[in-house]
Amino acid sequence: MVFAGRAVAAALLLSVAMLPAQAADPIKIGLSGPFTGGSSSMGVSMRDGAKLAAAEINKAGGVLGRPIQLVERDDEAKNEVGAQVAQELINKEKVVASVGFINTGVALAAQRFYQEAEIPVFNNVATGTIITNQFKEPDYDANYVFRNSAYDVLQAGLMVDEALAQGHKKIAVLADSTNYGQLGREDIEKYLATKNVKPVAVEKFNIKDVDMTAQLLKAQQAGAEVILAYGIGPELAQITNGMAKLGWKVPMITSWPSSMQSFIDIAGANGNGVIMPQTFIEDQTLPKRKAFLENYYKTYGVTKIPTPVAGAQGYDSIYLLAAAIKQAGGTDGVKIRTALENLNEKVEGVVTTYDKPFTAKDHNAISRNMVVFGKVQDGKIVYAKDEDAKNAGVVRVKEKSSN
Amino acid sequence: MAILLQLIASGVAVGMIYAAIAFGYQLTFATSKTLNFGQGEALALGALFGLTLVPFIGYWLMIPLVLVFGFALGAVVERLGVRPAVKIKSEYGWIMATIALGIIFKNVAENIWGRDDLKFPSPLPETALQVGGVRILPMELLIVAGALLMMLAVEIFNRKSIWGKAVVATSNDIDAAGLMGINTQKVITLSYSISAMTAAFAGVLVAPVTLTGATMGSVLALKAFAVAIIGGLESGLGVIVGGLILGVAETLTGFYISTGYKDVPGLILLLVVLSIRPVGLFGKAVIKKV
Repeated sequence: MVFAGRAVAAALLLSVAMLPAQAADPIKIGLSGPFTGGSSSMGVSMRDGAKLAAAEINKAGGVLGRPIQLVERDDEAKNEVGAQVAQELINKEKVVASVGFINTGVALAAQRFYQEAEIPVFNNVATGTIITNQFKEPDYDANYVFRNSAYDVLQAGLMVDEALAQGHKKIAVLADSTNYGQLGREDIEKYLATKNVKPVAVEKFNIKDVDMTAQLLKAQQAGAEVILAYGIGPELAQITNGMAKLGWKVPMITSWPSSMQSFIDIAGANGNGVIMPQTFIEDQTLPKRKAFLENYYKTYGVTKIPTPVAGAQGYDSIYLLAAAIKQAGGTDGVKIRTALENLNEKVEGVVTTYDKPFTAKDHNAISRNMVVFGKVQDGKIVYAKDEDAKNAGVVRVKEKSSN
Repeated sequence: MAILLQLIASGVAVGMIYAAIAFGYQLTFATSKTLNFGQGEALALGALFGLTLVPFIGYWLMIPLVLVFGFALGAVVERLGVRPAVKIKSEYGWIMATIALGIIFKNVAENIWGRDDLKFPSPLPETALQVGGVRILPMELLIVAGALLMMLAVEIFNRKSIWGKAVVATSNDIDAAGLMGINTQKVITLSYSISAMTAAFAGVLVAPVTLTGATMGSVLALKAFAVAIIGGLESGLGVIVGGLILGVAETLTGFYISTGYKDVPGLILLLVVLSIRPVGLFGKAVIKKV
């Protein structure tokens, strides 16, 4: 009897001892993106940025006293794999939220599962304008899709305005034949129409195209003074190489992926001077950015983030989510969404300091004023404009009601 | 006029890339009436293997090693994929087997070299040459010359060496060749080896212009297949002409019609050739006695 009593007491003690352990259960956050394949330099940078943020948060005591655990899954940039991964993260891993998505197509195929499960999903790289509008009011009561990347309409507008500001009247548009390229081309053409400008040439190219002669000759014959190109690293590089071959040099303004390492490697010297919209440039002006970059270089043993924008946005997305979970006081999906839409705390990230980044109607954290032009220069992305470089230390905060 | 010439020049360069790959299809089809559907992967493996060697021994010294690598690769494909199917007289087994081997090769390459597109250092200057109003990269000239040289070398081998004569005899009549004491099985292995060797060589030849990666061969091999059908699966001259037709058709359509329809005329041509002359433009029409 005495023995039995002791056993019970021991069991009680044990269960009491278990309680705090239970409270410190990790908060599971899904992390999905292409970690292999053609867009892996973006996916890997994003993943590594997010992992840095999670490690820092955990080192400082976690969120609500619980550590963050990232559950990584490779979506291979394939729509069907992305959908599968989303279901696995939701149903098997029971994540409380997810960050990721590099490819617009994958985001559109996969995020509906989060929407149905009422779990917030955070796009930190994919730029398709439609992404945050997929589950918009009034068709849906609440939208669980958030984003902290510069979406296509923003980028298209910036690219066109830059071309016009440089004084070019004759504009050629080159876009790849994927969803990404064609949606971007549409955004560019729409924006050009509002400026009463008709592009002199609109050309298409395929992923893995070897030869851009036909597209470039058409643009050249049409008298183009500037090329606006929407595509990803390798093909954008083939365009610059094709121009060098034809001995034709006009300014080229591309969508953001010309900051990918593959563009820099493949274009080499031909890529110098190409400019693209960026939310983040690798400079060490602000203490937060300096710390982030130093930590990134040290942790992963590199001297440059393969795709800086993706790394920075991945890093920020975890901080934003952590702040929302803290404010929600728990891991309920509805509460986290509401908290994201009314974030009280200012979140200091590396792209910007987020002051009420989202509202119920606006799920895009990045506004147009936060995007600068980067320029390829000898294998690095630098500020394209002197005034941006000079003001690099100034945090650009979101304009109110700009989206 | 300068534009037309420029388009043709670029089309010829692209066409020769297709032809160099298509040549490999023609080699194995001649001896065994089978094809290696993993030709695109053999091309990618050759290029990636070469890329690994370049930093140590440079571009030119790397080529013989890549040739040996391709030669061995072809023998493996024949042994694992084709011979079992031919032995049991399966008409289609080799199709599945070579496709499967291709997928395996691709996955192996992805595991070793990753899935990013890589830059292949160009052995020649990357500034274009100006030839009478036409601008062309030195590397493109090397592709044309290299591909022609490769085909010429295989042709001379076939005509002059005893092994080559065995290959020709086997392509003409495999049963008669067997009765004459030719080890036709070895000849088929040899043709696969030479075929994969040409693919690997084509890989390092085109890599400085295209991108290098495990999937670099997927689109190219498909186009090369169309070229082989257009030109005729049994004719070396046919694949050159077929490649040039397809390459030039692509650039001309891109410029004069629309870059969105660049690939269409090639496919139309393929359908036309198949319906009017199924053996290809340069194929020999043989009446098969049943």
